[in-house]
Amino acid sequence: MYLLLSPTNININLSKEELNQAEKMLGRKPNSVELGMIDVMWSEHCSYKSSKLVLKKLPTKGKRVVVGPGYDSGIVDLGDGDVAAFKIESHNHPSAIEPYNGAATGIGGIIRDILCTNCRPIGLLDSLRFGELKKGHNRWLFLNVVRGIADYGNCCGIPTVAGEIEFDESFESNCLINVACVGIGRKENIVLGRMENPGDHIVLLGGSTGRDGIHGVTFASKVISDESEEDRPSVQVGDPFTKKVVIEATLEALKTGYIRGLKDLGGGGLTCGLSEMSSKGGVGVEIDIDKIHVREGEMTPYEIMLSESQERMLFAIMPEGLNMILNIFEKWEIPYSVIGRVTDTCRIIVKKDGSIVVSIPPEILTDAPAIKRKSKKPGYLKEISNKDEVKNKLKDISSAIYALLKMPNIASKEFVFRQYDHEVGVRTINKPGDGDAAVLRLLGKNKAIAIKSDCNSFHSYLDPFYGHAGAVAESIRNLVAVGSEPIAIVDCCNFGNPEDPEIYWQFEKSIDGLAYMLKGLGIPCVGGNVSFYNEDDRTGTAVKPTIVVVSIGLVRNLDWITTLSFKEGGDSIIAIGRTFPEMGGSQYYLRFKGIGGRVPTTAPEKEKSSIRAVQTLIEKGCINSAHDCSKGGLAIALATMAINGGFGAGVNLDQLPKASASIDELMFSESHARFIVTSKKEDVNNIIKLCKKNDVPSAEIGEVTETDSLSFRYKKKVIAKCEVDEMKKCWEEAIPRFVSPTLK
Amino acid sequence: MKVAVIQYPGSNCDYDAIYVLRNLVGIETELIWHRNFKQSEFDAAILPGGFSYGDYLRAGAIASHSPSLSEVKEMSREGKAVLGICNGFQILVEAGILPGALLRNDCLRFVCKWVNLRVCSSRTSATRLIPEGCLLHIPIAHSEGRYVNKDNDLKKLYENDQIVFKYVNERGEEINSNPNGSLENIAGICNLDGNIVGLMPHPERASEPSINPYGSDDGLLVFESMLNYINH
Amino acid sequence: MTKTCDYIVEVIIQNKRLAKDPEGETIYRELVNKSGYDQIQNVRSGKYLRFIVNTKTPKDAKKLVQDLCNDLRIYNPVVHSLQVTARGNSQ
Repeated sequence: MYLLLSPTNININLSKEELNQAEKMLGRKPNSVELGMIDVMWSEHCSYKSSKLVLKKLPTKGKRVVVGPGYDSGIVDLGDGDVAAFKIESHNHPSAIEPYNGAATGIGGIIRDILCTNCRPIGLLDSLRFGELKKGHNRWLFLNVVRGIADYGNCCGIPTVAGEIEFDESFESNCLINVACVGIGRKENIVLGRMENPGDHIVLLGGSTGRDGIHGVTFASKVISDESEEDRPSVQVGDPFTKKVVIEATLEALKTGYIRGLKDLGGGGLTCGLSEMSSKGGVGVEIDIDKIHVREGEMTPYEIMLSESQERMLFAIMPEGLNMILNIFEKWEIPYSVIGRVTDTCRIIVKKDGSIVVSIPPEILTDAPAIKRKSKKPGYLKEISNKDEVKNKLKDISSAIYALLKMPNIASKEFVFRQYDHEVGVRTINKPGDGDAAVLRLLGKNKAIAIKSDCNSFHSYLDPFYGHAGAVAESIRNLVAVGSEPIAIVDCCNFGNPEDPEIYWQFEKSIDGLAYMLKGLGIPCVGGNVSFYNEDDRTGTAVKPTIVVVSIGLVRNLDWITTLSFKEGGDSIIAIGRTFPEMGGSQYYLRFKGIGGRVPTTAPEKEKSSIRAVQTLIEKGCINSAHDCSKGGLAIALATMAINGGFGAGVNLDQLPKASASIDELMFSESHARFIVTSKKEDVNNIIKLCKKNDVPSAEIGEVTETDSLSFRYKKKVIAKCEVDEMKKCWEEAIPRFVSPTLK
Repeated sequence: MKVAVIQYPGSNCDYDAIYVLRNLVGIETELIWHRNFKQSEFDAAILPGGFSYGDYLRAGAIASHSPSLSEVKEMSREGKAVLGICNGFQILVEAGILPGALLRNDCLRFVCKWVNLRVCSSRTSATRLIPEGCLLHIPIAHSEGRYVNKDNDLKKLYENDQIVFKYVNERGEEINSNPNGSLENIAGICNLDGNIVGLMPHPERASEPSINPYGSDDGLLVFESMLNYINH
Repeated sequence: MTKTCDYIVEVIIQNKRLAKDPEGETIYRELVNKSGYDQIQNVRSGKYLRFIVNTKTPKDAKKLVQDLCNDLRIYNPVVHSLQVTARGNSQ
């Protein structure tokens, strides 16, 4: 026996204005189930009400865009009928309290989004941010998040091929766990998350529905709520085995061609799935609650419609294909229920025991009114000093290089990626650490996709606009450095409380910066995710504004794939792009307590020049390695190339294209639009000529040597000399030292 | 000439094995659902890598109860070639078709990296084309790859030439080469007759220069050995 | 001075009662149930730890281990449940 409860018994988050608006749209007072559905669909998480107006500024169209924002994943054209689907999501709040399962279920969610388009998921990326590793709590989060991602991704057989990790105190109470997935498929086989045909069957596949995710709900009746909170986890347990089986069963079912529409159930559960699929198709649905396979007894319609139980997919299936598809589900032994039909009523009708308990047009649920929030420039920006000063400067540059290599933000992440199966699928050409981006081939074809995630939250804190214009620029440069043609991005926004005008200002400026660079480079944004409220309730500290950019590129010829290590003694080292004294937000200032400094700025035209030059050089086969300059600047870029290649180098900064700057600024400034490339000596002149033609300054700055040291000269003096073995040790052991203090 | 790649719920490297066998070795290969596997229809079988049944209870433990394993036992008796890769090896061990046990890596973490293997026996279906002492570059990716066995049984493995692959360093020495704590650096073994072979590393991931950091295709030799075995 | 002695304290960490237990559920569904053991209703999995604790009473030993499990994050109360039992060495 269930009870239709009066609205006063349920905790809802809608404001009074929103409640009134909902009533107006419906034409009557919503009943308790309908109210619960509106409440969850109009939540920030499902509706993007605080962000959708601002997000409209992002460019979404491009010649390779097949599906833009609005569906489960963005889809881009790779030519010859091949397409790639990709998406990014956040799972910040669950991971902060239960890192293993929070991160694992984050991976589970993003895989489903790709699967829904009938693309096979072939790669995962993780973009993680934690507080500093010197604190036990942050180590606990870090170790368990990585383990959760590893266990889940590995079990599903999808390689985790790229990612990034940043450590900063602003992420201490609010770690950021953003995960992305890319899949490949054929254009003619794409299936979208919509129901279009009245008469189609609606089938729910996967894990059974339980009371997961329904919180803060109080019921009048004791019958329903005799389980205490103690018995229920507040973060769901990941089940990658079920996910793997769902992936295979779904792809096999999709091959039959009888699936008209498909969507995974995530936030908002069945309510979200049904409303989005029906409103996109301009149809209605009618379902029978009693047909749904449930895990817990006596679930009410409210609980069933709002449940967020994991590993569930919603299918719209053509009647003539229903039996064939159900047979496939039976073969894989996954539970399913045939719960209803697509109708032409343009309403969501939910029945129980033959009576209608919900009757609501889907548009009311999917079109939550946007909120225009106030914004105000943050006080802290006004306090940032204009002068450049380094308080803890080390006496010599060599020591500074070793010290920076030891910083977790710069150090090798091998500790992490060794736990990820990055080889499964036999597609991974550029493995983690090989190059600026991961490269996954399309089997049997002379093409591949390159994929990378980036954001420098240290820059974006000081300048949300240029910090995020820079995030796009850096991500695109990384794609180009491995030999690909950038196609599109997806983004994941992580901010504090949007009701705080200073945070909202950060959000607006960040999107402006993203839009500025995307429009200038002609790169569309085909999807994204927004996570607000990432701030510490007690102290009010918000995370540094972080929009993670995940970019995808097409490698049109496998011969062009380039890695970053030095290749051979005698090769020339060429710097492309100009270095400016832009130390604001740099790792050097972070390490040595620098204050002030300009945050690196850039412009689309400048980036385009550098990018075109490097693309042409790679296509012509002139260069044998490429690395963009980012965290730690020129010195760290060269150190990384030396460590990975096992070569030394002699570098002279006299010829380096630069504005006037001090030595440490030249070495560690994080200016944009710069690459370091190497080539055979005889190709240098052509390279310089080609760069000139593309309007970008370049110069030969040194030579790869078969010695064991990396040395820098400037104005006739040796300004730094580092042993490659020592650099390697600093770089490789930094993170393991934090997690295993007994490491000798 | 037909090879089966047996698919369990949770197998991941099934498609990889098929890709290599069909495109690089050029042999007719069928992906067969474990419940439908009939050994009489095939000349050889591969139990692929992955996480059958999520690796729950123990890796390979639940899959070892599949009816497909009686068919594999039949293949063992008939002298047909069977290759168990990673999870496939774990399933063969759990089913008692290969001796010993595979436990959690001593570092207690999943490890994905390229290793060096020394071929210790050339009499098996998977190594007949590879000379003893030969070094191969092949990657591993597992969290339960530590091979263990009782002293007496280990002795018998040596006596009967059942140790097929060992982890070694670049120079072929068993020094600082063991990625998971396996007893005597053992990476792969075979049954008494040498037709059933199990190994933790993934030869299907080392069969093409383009995805191999060493630019070689050492893994292909394992599959070509199997083809050679079938043909003789 | 009251004598202390060694007590055995056993800890079982499981997923909360209403949480998913993929391992237990899979072992039940794919192994136990399919092998004809119809009388088995359910299987849950967990992690077992055994402590030898030197205190005055078993009650003290149990409390010490409970506090330790909370303090050192042996389990996460967000998703796990903890069962602690203490007994004498001789049993």
